[in-house]
Amino acid sequence: MVFSYRPFLVTILNSFHTVSIMGERFKFVGLENYSRLFASQSFQDSLSNTLRFTLFFVPANMFLCLSAALLANRKGKLATLNQVFFFLPLAVGLSSSMMIFKMIFNPSLGIVNHLLGTSIQWFNNPKAAMALLVIAGVYLDFGFNFLLFHAALRNVPKDLIEVAQIEGASPFQTFRYLIFPLIGPTVVFVLITNIKDAMLISSPVLILTEGGPFRSTQTLVYQMYLEGFKSGNYAVGSSIATVVFLLTFSILLILMRLQRRRVYYQ
Amino acid sequence: MRFIKASIATLFSLVVIFPIIYTISASFFTYADFTSIPAKLLPSSFYLENYVRAFAETSLARFLANSFVTATLGMLLRMGISIGAAYAFTFFTFKGRDVLFFVVIATMLLPSDALILANYSTIRTLGLTDTYLGIISTKLLSPTHIFMLRQYFKTMSREYREAALIEGCSDARFITTLLLPISKAVVITLGIHSFSNIFNDYLWPLLVTNKEGMRTVQVGLTMLGFSENLDYGPQFAAIALLMIPIVIAFIIMHSPIQNSVSSRFAGR
Repeated sequence: MVFSYRPFLVTILNSFHTVSIMGERFKFVGLENYSRLFASQSFQDSLSNTLRFTLFFVPANMFLCLSAALLANRKGKLATLNQVFFFLPLAVGLSSSMMIFKMIFNPSLGIVNHLLGTSIQWFNNPKAAMALLVIAGVYLDFGFNFLLFHAALRNVPKDLIEVAQIEGASPFQTFRYLIFPLIGPTVVFVLITNIKDAMLISSPVLILTEGGPFRSTQTLVYQMYLEGFKSGNYAVGSSIATVVFLLTFSILLILMRLQRRRVYYQ
Repeated sequence: MRFIKASIATLFSLVVIFPIIYTISASFFTYADFTSIPAKLLPSSFYLENYVRAFAETSLARFLANSFVTATLGMLLRMGISIGAAYAFTFFTFKGRDVLFFVVIATMLLPSDALILANYSTIRTLGLTDTYLGIISTKLLSPTHIFMLRQYFKTMSREYREAALIEGCSDARFITTLLLPISKAVVITLGIHSFSNIFNDYLWPLLVTNKEGMRTVQVGLTMLGFSENLDYGPQFAAIALLMIPIVIAFIIMHSPIQNSVSSRFAGR
């Protein structure tokens, strides 16, 4: 309680006040923090970067994890090996994998550019940095999302698929009209958690790109961290946190309504 | 068709584990191996100096110890609180129980990363920065754990408890001798989940620890100072050291891990 509701209220309260570095509220300023925030270029960048990240990350992650789960949904020793490989990223902690990424994507010493035969400036080119952040985000969520999809696919009755194949359904039709509706609840669940994760992304930014180059990967929670801890700007930090709350809540609410209409539980 | 599917899957899975394999391989690289052209995938020799330097030149051992202490302590406290709360929510009837349960579960909707500002000032006011208690304090209440334990406890008949109480058994004894052995599987799964959750946390321990000696390994790993000097060998060694035991555990446990996820979802 003390560490979830109280800070939630304190955060909202702080966002309407001027706050000292020690966290004491000075005086009520109404919406002034917000009007300053929305006018600042830095915040507009964070907002658009966070939304852009969500827009790239969520479809890429859903597509890759679902494809992996479909590809690994076979029988045999090789299939088991594939499955183990697919969820192994889960065994590498966040900071370890981000440090690995930082090194293998280094433009001159890193192995990635050598293997691809390219000289992409992953950390100096705004577009490449965003792409790197998306790749890193996918890598962090891959193992767990793969496991979820894999479990859902295993629960699809095999005889239904056989019947469909005997009836002459193409693999695409089998997926579209038979498998997809059956794993629907899992897909929605993964979608919702992915969007939530994407809106809140901060630690990978902190370790990998530090918001750069030129704020091109500065996200909302990362800016909140900067304002709150680096600039001692508690009030502005709290306003950003409140904006993050509102954004995540509203997106989740919309999705939950859609879910009620679209997904048919058996 | 089957063959194509299998080959694409294998290729794809190799890409996915490439960073892991490369890290292990690169932890044996000499400095020359990193700069050689064309780039190397395998080390030129079994070079252990990186591991020695990772320990000798940093406080890696201390970071590891900090992480183990906080994760173990946090896991035990969190499980204790969760079991107690789930027990009360299942077997006791008191005024406002369902409201309170809803209030606890609704904390799931508050994203913890957005709460760190206010939590940090609480911890600082309490004087708990740079302490183990400060690192674990925000992790102690886990609504998901309480929810899942309660779901499990509910499958058990209330008459068992009533019979036990009539025979003169206390609640504490009922939990330790009957309830926990029955729900061993769930408790162990959640315990492992708690441990890895606290062990892998990054943002919160970064904020509450300023002294080098109090950093957890996840935070310490990013501040070893090797990668900034493009001295990649010891950095890869430190990561590999942390990663290899967990990777091996995952490979051995692969089928229980897969089953635990599928049963969690089948039961919805």
